[in-house]
Amino acid sequence: MDALNQLFHGFGVALSPQNLAFVFLGVLMGTVIGMLPGLGPISAISLMIPVAFTMDPTSAIIMLAGVYYGAIFGGSTSSILLNAPGVAGTVATSFDGYPLARKGQAGKALSVAAIASFVGGTVGVVGLMLVAPSLSALTVSFGPAEYFALMVLGLTAVVTLSGNNLTKGLISGTVGVMIALVGIDSQTSTLRFTFGRHELYEGVEFLIVALGVFALAEVFVMLLRRGQGGGDGTITSLRLSRRELKEISGPTGRGSVLGFFTGVLPGAGATVASFLSYSFEKRLAKDGKTFGKGNIKGVAAPESANNGAAVGSFVPLLTLGVPGSGTTAVLLGALLVLGVQPGPLLLDEQPDMFWGVVASMYIGNIVLLILNLPLIPLFAKVLKTPQALLLPLVVVFCVVGVYGHSFSTFDLWMLIGFGVLGFLMRANGFPAAPLILGLILGGLMEKSMRQALLISSGDLTTFVTKPISATLLALAALSLLAPLYGAWRRTRRRQGLSEDDGRGQDEQPKATVGGTQERENG
Amino acid sequence: MFRAGRRGSRAAVAAVAAGSVSLLLAACGEGAGAASGGGDWKPTKPIEYVAPANTGGGWDTLARSSARVLDKAGLVNRPMRVVNKPGAGGAIGWSYIAKHQKDPHKLFVTSPPILLVPLAGESGQTYRDFTPVARLNTEPLAYVVKADSPFKTFEDLAAKLKADPGKVSVAGGSGPGSLDHVGLAGAVQAAGADASKVKYVPFDGGGEALTSLLGGHTDVAVAGGSEVQALVRSGDVRALAVSSEKRSPILPDTPTLAESGIDYVFDIWRGVMAPKGLTEEQIAYYEKAFEKMVEHDSWKKESKKLGWTNSYLGSEEFGKFLDEQNKEYAGILTEVGLRK
Repeated sequence: MDALNQLFHGFGVALSPQNLAFVFLGVLMGTVIGMLPGLGPISAISLMIPVAFTMDPTSAIIMLAGVYYGAIFGGSTSSILLNAPGVAGTVATSFDGYPLARKGQAGKALSVAAIASFVGGTVGVVGLMLVAPSLSALTVSFGPAEYFALMVLGLTAVVTLSGNNLTKGLISGTVGVMIALVGIDSQTSTLRFTFGRHELYEGVEFLIVALGVFALAEVFVMLLRRGQGGGDGTITSLRLSRRELKEISGPTGRGSVLGFFTGVLPGAGATVASFLSYSFEKRLAKDGKTFGKGNIKGVAAPESANNGAAVGSFVPLLTLGVPGSGTTAVLLGALLVLGVQPGPLLLDEQPDMFWGVVASMYIGNIVLLILNLPLIPLFAKVLKTPQALLLPLVVVFCVVGVYGHSFSTFDLWMLIGFGVLGFLMRANGFPAAPLILGLILGGLMEKSMRQALLISSGDLTTFVTKPISATLLALAALSLLAPLYGAWRRTRRRQGLSEDDGRGQDEQPKATVGGTQERENG
Repeated sequence: MFRAGRRGSRAAVAAVAAGSVSLLLAACGEGAGAASGGGDWKPTKPIEYVAPANTGGGWDTLARSSARVLDKAGLVNRPMRVVNKPGAGGAIGWSYIAKHQKDPHKLFVTSPPILLVPLAGESGQTYRDFTPVARLNTEPLAYVVKADSPFKTFEDLAAKLKADPGKVSVAGGSGPGSLDHVGLAGAVQAAGADASKVKYVPFDGGGEALTSLLGGHTDVAVAGGSEVQALVRSGDVRALAVSSEKRSPILPDTPTLAESGIDYVFDIWRGVMAPKGLTEEQIAYYEKAFEKMVEHDSWKKESKKLGWTNSYLGSEEFGKFLDEQNKEYAGILTEVGLRK
C-alpha cells in the first residue's frame, strides 16, 4: 500500500499543469519523430536535450521519458505504412503490418499497433511501480553466460521467420551474423573485415541494413512492377470487431509481460523483445502459417513487447544507475547534467522524482493513445499518395535517416548496397527477416560467449552449469526439436493412415510432406 | 531537416538563456575580450566545436557543457557550434580536423583515446597532428568490488593477482588496450604482478561492467569514479582505490593507490585541441577563454554534477603532459602485448 500512497503523491507531481504540459510535449515530439523512418528515440532525445537542460530536473525527466516511449509508440507507423522501420524495435512490426497495409487494412494495423503499444506501455509502468526495486536482482542475474543462452534462444526464431524455405532462411540468418562481425572486435580490439575503412571500425549500423533490405528493396520491387499490385489505397474501417479484439488480447498480454522482463535486462532491450514475442506467438497461434502475410496478431505481439521493454529499461537506469540500452545511456547522460544521480538511493532520496516519472508514464500512455487513434485515418491516407510521389519520398526519408545518424556519405553508399542486396534476396526467395535477426543477435551472442569463456578460463560447461543459462539453452533446444518431433509424428500417423486408407485426410498429409522436406533440407 | 531542426532549437535555447542573464554577462564578455588583448586575434565566424562521438557520450557531454558555459558567459565573441563526428573510436573526427590545418575556427574535445587509439594502430593521426589548447579536468578510475567480496584493500587484490591471476576476472567498460584496461594494467604492474596475465573482461561501457560485477559474474570492475559514485554511496560496491594522485572529491573515503602502497597515478583527463598550424595569437585567444571558463561558477557547478575535478593546463603544459602520457601508455601497452 505504501507504493500506492507514493504513486498518488507521484500523480500529484505529474498532474501539475507544468508537468502535464511537458508530458504532452514529450510524447508529441517523440511520436512525431519516431514516425519518421530512420529517426529513432536516440535522435528524438538528443533533439530535446537542449530544451530539457533549461528545465527543472523532474519536469525534464518526465519530458525526456515521454520522448522515449513516444518514439517507440510512433515508430510502428512507418513500419506499417512504408515498410521502413523508424526504430530497431519496430522491425518485427513490419512483418505483418506492411502486408496488412498492402491489403488495404492499414487503418486496422495502425489501430492494433496503437492499442498493443498502449497495453504494453501500461503493463510496463505497473511493473515498474510494483517490482522495480526487487527487479534489479533480475537485471544483475544475467551475466555473459546467460546472455549467450538468451541470444541462442532468440536465434532459434530464424526457423519461424524463414517462411517456407528453411535452408534459405538459415543462409540469410548466417549472412546477418557475418555482417555483425564487421568492425573492431570488442574482446581483442582487432579489426575485422574493415578493409582499411574507418567508417567500418564501429561495425555496420543496424538501421542502415534494416532500411536497405526492407524499405529500399521494397521501392525497387515496386519500381519493377511499375506501380501495379500495390495497395489500391482503400482504407477499411478502423474499428476492430469484437472478435478481432479478442484475438489480439492474448498476444498483447503475453507480449507486454515478455517485453517488460526483457527490457529489464541491460543490452537485450526492445528489439530482442519484439522478435522473441513475434516468433513465440507465431508458434503458439493456430493460424501461424498466416503470420508474415498480414495477421493482426503479428502486429500486436511485437508492438506490445517493444513498448513494455521501453518502460522496462527504466528499471536498471533508475534503480542501479546503469543504462540498459543506447537510448537510456543518452538519458543517463542528460540526468547527470541535470544533477540527478540515478542509483539504488534514488528511490529513497528523491521519491518525488521517481514516483512523478512513474505517474507521468501512465498519463503519457493515455495521451499517446488519444493522440494517435484519431490521426490514424490521416496517416493511412499516406498510402493514397500516387506512387510516383510516394516512392521518392520513401527514398528521401531513408537517406535523411541514415545521414542524420552519422553525417557520413559512406553510410549512404552502404544503404544503397543493402537495398540492392535486399532486392536480390527478394527476387531469389531469400527472406530478409532472418538476416536482420542474425545481425541483431549475432554480435551480442559472440561477445557474451567470449566473455563467458574468458571468465571461466575456457571451460564450456559454464553454459550448462548456471541454472538460468541451462534453462534458456534447454528452451532453445526444445523449440528446435519440437517441430521436428511434430513432423515425425505426423509422418508416422500418415503412414499408419495410408495403410488403412486415409481418404478425407488429404489436407494434412500434404502439408506434412512439405514440412518434412523443408526440415530435411535444413 | 534533422540538422536544421536541431540548430533551430539550440538557437532558441541559447536565446532564452542569453535573455535571462544578458546584461550582466554582456559586460563580462567585453571584459574578457579586452583581457585577451595580447595578440588581438578574434574569431570572425562561429566556431565549429567537434565531439568525435555520438550524442550522449562523454565527449559530447564535455563539448556541450563547455560550449554552453563559453557562450553564456560571453568568453568567446562568436557562438560555439557543437558538431558530432562519430565513428572509429574518434578517428573519423580526428581525420576531419586534420583536413583543416590552420583553420582557427575549429576545435575538438579530447581525452586519453587520442593517445591510445593511435598507439593501437587504429588511427591515421596521432596527437602530434593537432595543437593542444587546454586540459580542463581530470577524473580518477576506481577499482571496485562487490560489498561481500573478500578483497578489502587494493593490496589484497594485488596479492591475489600475483599469486593466482587466473582466479580473478576484472570487468572493464572498454576494449583491450583502451582506457580502463591501461589504467588497470598500469596499477597491477606497479604492484609487482604480471599485467599480461590478468583476466580482463571487456564490456560495452562502465554500466555493463558494473552490472556484471553486481551479479557476481566478475570479481572486480574498473570504471570511472563518477560511474561508481552512486553504487559506492548506497553500499552495493566497495571502492578499493582510486587512481588519482590525491583523494578524489567524488569518492572522498576511498584511498589512492599511493596510500595503498602502489606508486602509480592514472587520470582520465579531458581537454581541448585545435588543428595543426594555429598562430600563437589564435592559441592564446582560446587558452584565455578556457582558463576563464574553468573558473566560472556555472562551469564549477556543472563539473560537480558530472564528477569532474578542475585541473587546468595551458597549451604548452598540456603539450608536455601529452608527451609524458604517451610515453607511459606506450610502455604499458607494450607490456600487455597490444602495442602496434
